[in-house]
Amino acid sequence: MTVIKLKTQDGQLVEYTDEIIGQGGMKDVYFSPDRSYVVAFFRDQLDYQGKERLKSIVGMYREGIFEKEGGEYWKDLFCWPTAVVEKDGRLGVVAPVYAKHFFFSHGSVNNDMLGIKGKEKEGKWFASASNRSKFLAPQEKGSWLTHLRICLMISRAVRRLHAAGLAHSDLSYKNVLIDPSTGNACVIDIDGLVVPGKFPPDVVGTPDFIAPEVIATQHLEKSDPNRKLPSTLTDRHALAVLIYMYLFYRHPLRGGKVHDMDATKDEELAMGTKALFVEHPTDAANRVKADQISKAQLPWGDPSKMPYTIAGPLLAELFRKAFVDGLHEPQRRPTADEWENALVRTIDMIQPCSANCEMGWYVFDNSTKPKCPYCGAAYKGKLPVLNLYSSRHSGSYQPDNHRVMVWDGQSLFPWHVSRKVFPNEKLTPDQKKRVGYFQLHQGDWFLVNEGMPQMQDVASKKDIPIGGHVKLTDGSQFLLSHEDGGRLVQVQLVNG
Amino acid sequence: MRRLPVYLLLDTSGSMRGEPIEAVNTGIRVMVSALRQDPHALETVHVSIITFDSDAKVVVPLTALDELQVPVITTPQSGPTHLGLALETLGARIRREIKRSTAEEKGDWAPYLFVMSDGKPSDIQLFEEQCPLIRSIGFASVIGCVAGPKARKEDLQPLCDHVVSLDTMDSAGFTSFFKWVTATISGGNKSMGTTTTVALPPPPPEIQVVF
Repeated sequence: MTVIKLKTQDGQLVEYTDEIIGQGGMKDVYFSPDRSYVVAFFRDQLDYQGKERLKSIVGMYREGIFEKEGGEYWKDLFCWPTAVVEKDGRLGVVAPVYAKHFFFSHGSVNNDMLGIKGKEKEGKWFASASNRSKFLAPQEKGSWLTHLRICLMISRAVRRLHAAGLAHSDLSYKNVLIDPSTGNACVIDIDGLVVPGKFPPDVVGTPDFIAPEVIATQHLEKSDPNRKLPSTLTDRHALAVLIYMYLFYRHPLRGGKVHDMDATKDEELAMGTKALFVEHPTDAANRVKADQISKAQLPWGDPSKMPYTIAGPLLAELFRKAFVDGLHEPQRRPTADEWENALVRTIDMIQPCSANCEMGWYVFDNSTKPKCPYCGAAYKGKLPVLNLYSSRHSGSYQPDNHRVMVWDGQSLFPWHVSRKVFPNEKLTPDQKKRVGYFQLHQGDWFLVNEGMPQMQDVASKKDIPIGGHVKLTDGSQFLLSHEDGGRLVQVQLVNG
Repeated sequence: MRRLPVYLLLDTSGSMRGEPIEAVNTGIRVMVSALRQDPHALETVHVSIITFDSDAKVVVPLTALDELQVPVITTPQSGPTHLGLALETLGARIRREIKRSTAEEKGDWAPYLFVMSDGKPSDIQLFEEQCPLIRSIGFASVIGCVAGPKARKEDLQPLCDHVVSLDTMDSAGFTSFFKWVTATISGGNKSMGTTTTVALPPPPPEIQVVF
């Protein structure tokens, strides 16, 4: 196989093997001989703006994200092109290869009957109830907790892009790699980034993820002031759809309502001007008709069986903002930052399924008799719930709308101890260390203090030293830190 | 969920015997396994295969990809190219198999039709009668493939939106054609451009798009 050598625009040497390993919508992709990076050439000529955009993406925008404090963190979340190359008039980019866990290690059932082992884990495999139930090997499916984590990673990545003033413009399950077995995600196809006012988009997005206002104005000329093109606001729609699909394995707008006898026109209306959330609280016109979906899609395909509210109050509110309030009012869509925040807190509210079913984890439903929404198994044993309060003025503690479910293996981290710490890329290595854990001993739950020097039992005013422990009883209160923003924990005990 | 019906009309006249039909068989197998590896296609695509020589035969009725048993297609020793008859059969199948939308339920996507032939239709009168009838069904796209030295693109033009021609009838040619078919069918979940919606992916270099 011929190896082709090139110089990048900034003078680095790159090599690639002259054999296409993949074709995207606009690019042909080649491996470097040692397969440590890829070179992807655009099939079509880029205009002046397109070239300038690429230069900025590999240059100032990349530096802005990766060469700052916490930059290392983003290497796992973005597959960001590092250089621009040119050959025979064709422009291309150099980009890192995808991490190994984004390729199927088991693939499909029945000894990989589909032959997908080793292929990219395209998100659509996991975002479809029937693909999951009919084809995916159990080792590939992950649990509901890893899916929450995937959504968190995607939200974090999008939040970072938006914070830099960039819009991805084509978020979809093709352009975000996910790995449910480890709960990782990586945003790819960065070269289409949109900079408002500077670099306009050249794609409108991928069906399923295009915002209603973009579909509704697609017939207008690109220069028409009423034409809506991808932006951070449409990214917000695509992000909400991605999260919805990765948590419920169905599309939020694909319901039973028929708008037109012609399939293409119907699709355009259902995703555009007439778009309506299948779980709209008051308008039932687009409900999924249970008799029109296949058995393989159940139970996830039927929202009446697995409503979006199983994701807990924090995410449910954001889904309402995205698909009820903000569906046709882009400004009202939740930001990536809001999703990140709600996901972090929701992950604290999750508990393991007693029957260890396929879903594996579910969000505490705020009831005294919690049960798994997927398999119906009731929670067994004592379930302590920690309600977090934090100090605003000395001596006064206010609820943070943040709860932590206690299960075997659950831990406390610095972001539980202080309202001022938030788990994201800015955490110092010290802040990533566990400061307490929970243990079930002879039928009672205990909290063991590992790293909270100021921990105190509120009722007895006794300090709980590092290495010490305390029993969790209904109504007990602990102060985790005296500092400003320090948390107070109020324990509720649910008996399952 | 809407199905995406894909009809393949394949020439099994005597002249396809030997390497050409083997190449077609390989091409179909490659196409089906590639589509099965596409999670989007796997959920929606349904395939039907109709062959035509002196007779038109429904080799595979419209079947979901994961349930499809890929048949081995054979050819008679010799025989005419009754494409008109095949179209008549296709029309009847489509009336039975395609789910139309109703006020209560979404129907299928507009179907795709791929017609592959290495010669002129022998039943030219029936063919000419059938062309407008088939066109009126409302396909997403009708794509013709003329293969080999005897086939002329004009023969399929009354029927098709696009005609591609294969100069050689070997496996490289057919494989690239079926790869292209695969890309066309699974194009539904690719990014869409802001200017024009591209209905077809660019054909590979072996194939010449004539129309």
